[in-house]
Amino acid sequence: MNFGFLPSLPFTLSYPLLFGVLLVAGMLGGELARIVRIPRIVGYVVVGLGLGPLAGAVGLDSLLVEARIFVDLALGLVLFDLGRRMDLQWMKRDWTIAASGFAESLLAFFAVLATLLAFRFDPVEAGLAAAISMTTSPAVLMLLVHDLQSEGQVTERAMNLVALNGLSASILVTILLSSAHLEAKSQVEVALLHPLYLFLGSLSVGAAMAWLSRTIARKIEKTREVHFALIAGMVVCAVGLSTMLKLPVILSLLAFGLFARNDDRSYDLLNVNLAPVGRLLYIVLFVITGASLPLDSLATGGVVSLALVAARAAGKLTGVLAVAPLGGLRMRQAVGLGAAVLPMSSLALLMLHDIARLFPKFATDFMAIILGGILVMELVGPFAVQWGLRFAGETLPADPAATGRMAARMPSAPSAD
Amino acid sequence: VPLDFTVSRSLTFGVELELMVLNTRDYNLSRGAPDLLARLAKKKLPGEVKPEITESMIEINSAVNESYDTLTAELRLVRDAIVNEAERLNLAIAGGGAHPFHQWQERRIYPTERFLHVSSLYGYLAKQFTVFGQHIHIGVESGDDAVYLTHGLAPYIPHFIALSASSPFSQGVDTSFETSRLHAVSAFPLSGQMPPVHTWAEFNRYFDEMAGYGIVASMKDFYWDIRPKPEYGTIEIRICDTPLTVERAAQLAAYAQTLAAHLLANRRTEPVEPLYRVYGYNRFQACRFGFEAELVDPYERKSTRLREHLLDTLDRVAVDAQRLGNKAALEVLWRSAQAQENDTRWLRERYAEAKSMPDVVRLQALRWKEGAAQEAAVAGASS
Repeated sequence: MNFGFLPSLPFTLSYPLLFGVLLVAGMLGGELARIVRIPRIVGYVVVGLGLGPLAGAVGLDSLLVEARIFVDLALGLVLFDLGRRMDLQWMKRDWTIAASGFAESLLAFFAVLATLLAFRFDPVEAGLAAAISMTTSPAVLMLLVHDLQSEGQVTERAMNLVALNGLSASILVTILLSSAHLEAKSQVEVALLHPLYLFLGSLSVGAAMAWLSRTIARKIEKTREVHFALIAGMVVCAVGLSTMLKLPVILSLLAFGLFARNDDRSYDLLNVNLAPVGRLLYIVLFVITGASLPLDSLATGGVVSLALVAARAAGKLTGVLAVAPLGGLRMRQAVGLGAAVLPMSSLALLMLHDIARLFPKFATDFMAIILGGILVMELVGPFAVQWGLRFAGETLPADPAATGRMAARMPSAPSAD
Repeated sequence: VPLDFTVSRSLTFGVELELMVLNTRDYNLSRGAPDLLARLAKKKLPGEVKPEITESMIEINSAVNESYDTLTAELRLVRDAIVNEAERLNLAIAGGGAHPFHQWQERRIYPTERFLHVSSLYGYLAKQFTVFGQHIHIGVESGDDAVYLTHGLAPYIPHFIALSASSPFSQGVDTSFETSRLHAVSAFPLSGQMPPVHTWAEFNRYFDEMAGYGIVASMKDFYWDIRPKPEYGTIEIRICDTPLTVERAAQLAAYAQTLAAHLLANRRTEPVEPLYRVYGYNRFQACRFGFEAELVDPYERKSTRLREHLLDTLDRVAVDAQRLGNKAALEVLWRSAQAQENDTRWLRERYAEAKSMPDVVRLQALRWKEGAAQEAAVAGASS
């Protein structure tokens, strides 16, 4: 009897099964978190933190590495959405938005740089680490905005700040790569051309995808369903194209979103809500992010990780609070905005891995430190954002009709005049 | 306690306009009103800008005006100031009686004590009341005149509906009505019209009775199409959708002022009961068909096309209009009626071109910002 029709041992885990398991496990973690009244994201991450060592123990950790495709897709979507939220027209009308964006990113950069130099790290490497620290996690912010149904000036400004600091950080990293190349004794041509290629290449991919999307959009029916499919498809293509051309996904997708929003004078592309598909990818994104944060990194990174996190937070808060009053924000709003730009997550992780791939020495010196910092902010960040948006009064309040039904019986002065 | 009627100078007038506060991303309603109002509080403007039931609305109250020209100038000034402050917050402002595609359940009640109370009393009706109307106040010298004009203007309510209609779309669909906004008003228990009382004393007896039952606490509890407003010494016409431009808003106010002047100079003595037997039917006809509505005249016992009825009326009050300085305003309305053009038609045409509701609202906001003077240019750019 030939049992060849039976699967052979050991089983090979397939991607769909992996994706499904991560999704369901993450979802359950999120719901558990909600029951104990903490942000769902923390639940997703904690599930990931648990799954990481577990996968390692049964020898499946390589699968988690391969699951990065999901991370790239999820981040692609997040970054595109973020780029689309960035409004250059608004920045022109209100200069304080760009000003606070640059203030908070630069202050975070210099605060972290100074801290790391005090610990006697190499200046270029410290600069790269500081550049990574400039970024705020767009995924954490956007998911919480969605979960808390947050809406208003703080929410809108936070999105623009996060887009700005992501953009500035990617550009700064690209520039610092030149110095790193030179230190690593690469050829001078490479040191100059590589950053230039990364920068212009990703801008071109973003612009081309935006142009192509608009061109297709003009030919198809202008309904949400059709445009949703178009945009989701183009985002996935852009992720694949960047990877293929060895370009940073971050910059390409930010640029795609930015061009799609700000260069569309004839309003061809509908601003569809990507949340439905986003939610699935977000869950997996946070689980995998959690799984790729070794718990012992904090022990290794230790004091330096904590110093980095503290310096970064101080820089960001100072930057936001210094400029916010000029933009007419009330104190509550300014503090809320400061809290909303604190989280650090998958975007920093992606940048860290991108740089580590190119410069193994940076990885040796900084991997554990930055991972430790991300680990802290991954758990603290969601609380900061949730608190900040609530403090600013932008989250969905309780429905007055659902409470005090008896007190409502008496008529009095309804509006309408 | 009888309601005291504050005496006003006859035929002074003013308007209230409820406006949409929009985001500029997809032109859905935003909850930008609190931030916008905080900014506007620092500006010196004629009249007042106030919150409304949900955080997606603001309301302009004009000052008391004597003429169409000053009212237009004032509204333009206030409009420009609001648009300017809104742009700093990345918000857009638009006229129109209802937002074409917003979902009412996403709205948030403006957290003042009164609005929270309204919301807890009326439940979902409060959020569905995110509709945008124009109210016109006409000054009168006595409570008796207020009661007389409230009845006297009732036959002309369909005119105001057809001329102001700007809410063909609701919750993302074409309702087939010229105005869908009025249905949101009709849902309230105290909507409709004033009962057939004839003097201010009689009105006071009615009010006392209702207050005695605990049904009302003040005049604000009546959501009538036209109501006396004793605190201001005015009658208030509440039937109009907020037009897409301040210019049209001023023209509607000028028409109301002219009609009031005409009715005060030519006192009518017919009984009012027959009027209200056909009132609901005529109102529905105007909401549904606009200029093509069939209006029933209970005194002549015949029906007339709304457009002819309106054109005849405009001709009949031309002398009063001339005297009040409203000639230019009424000529614009005459041409609109003649060509059967109103804001609802404009909105439907924009939708036919753009095939997307967010685009319609974007153009609506542009039209509000640039006003009727730029009309031709806007239409040209969008086609």
